[in-house]
Amino acid sequence: MAVETMTRRASDNAYLHRDFHGALSTGLAYLESRHGPEAVRAYVTHFARTYYAPLTHAIRDKGLGVLRDRLETVYAQEGGRIRISFTEDEMLLEVEECPAVMHMRRAGYAVAPLFFETSRTLYEAILDGTPYASEWLRHEPETGRCAVRFFRRTS
Amino acid sequence: MIPCTEFIPAYSALFDFLESKGGPGAVHDFWNYLSDNFLQNLHDLVVAHGIRGCWMYWNHTLNEEAADFTMELDEEAGLFSLTMHRCPSKGMLLALDHVTAYHDYCSHCDTLYRRVLEPLGYEYTYDMSQIDQARCRLVVRRRPPARTP
Repeated sequence: MAVETMTRRASDNAYLHRDFHGALSTGLAYLESRHGPEAVRAYVTHFARTYYAPLTHAIRDKGLGVLRDRLETVYAQEGGRIRISFTEDEMLLEVEECPAVMHMRRAGYAVAPLFFETSRTLYEAILDGTPYASEWLRHEPETGRCAVRFFRRTS
Repeated sequence: MIPCTEFIPAYSALFDFLESKGGPGAVHDFWNYLSDNFLQNLHDLVVAHGIRGCWMYWNHTLNEEAADFTMELDEEAGLFSLTMHRCPSKGMLLALDHVTAYHDYCSHCDTLYRRVLEPLGYEYTYDMSQIDQARCRLVVRRRPPARTP
C-alpha cells in the first residue's frame, strides 16, 4: 500500500477553525469547576487587559467607532448576524445568534454556563481605562442572542 | 465574543492564569481535562479507522488552521507523521509584540494527543527541538502486538 502524503502552505487555506470555540468553552468549564465563577471573570479580565490593550488604547484615543468597526469585522468573519445602532457617545449591539455558540451547538460541544463572560466581562475589561462603559441588556444562553449597550461614562 | 481567530492568545493566557493559581501542575491538570473532554473526536476516529483516524483528524484541523505542514500516512506500517513547517498557533504567539506566550506553550500538544493515542495502542513521539521557530514533528506508530512466549 502506498504512503499517502499531504503538504499544505499557510496560503492554501483561510484561518478559521471554529472548533476553537469548543476548546475555549471547555477551558471555562474547567476553570469554573476548579476555581469558581469569579476565576472565570478574572481570567477573561486578565486576557482582555493584556491581549486587547492596543484596542483599549485605540478606543480611548479615537472613540467608540473603533469598537464598532472591530465588532462588525469579527462577526462578519464568523458569519454572525448583528445590528449596530451608533452615535459617538452610545452604541447598541444586538447579536441575533452568537456564531460561537451556534457552532458549538451544531458540532456537539458543551457550551460552558459562563461562556457569555467572553462577551460581558470581556467588553467591560476592554473599556476599563476609556471614557466608555458597557451594560449587558439581555442574553439567551441557547443561541447566544444578546444585546449590549456601550455608552460614555457620566463622571 | 472572542473570535476563533484570537483563541490562541486566549489559550496561552489561560495557561498563564492557571499557573498563577496552582503552578505548572495546574496547567497539566487542565491539559489532561481538555484531552479527556475535548478530543473525543480524535479518539473516535482512531477507534473507527485505526491509524487513518490521525490523518482524518489532522486533515480537518490543520487545513482550517491554515497550517504549513506535511502529513504522511503508511497504513500498512501503522505509521503517521506530521511535520509542522510553521505552526500557525506558535507562529502567531511569536509574532505578537505586546503579549508573551506561555513559557511551556507547545507542551500541550505532547500531553493532549499522547493521552488519547497511547491507551489505544499507539506510540506517540513529539519533537519540540525547533519550537522556537514554530516547527515541530509528531509521529504516531501502531504498537506491535505483544508476543506470547
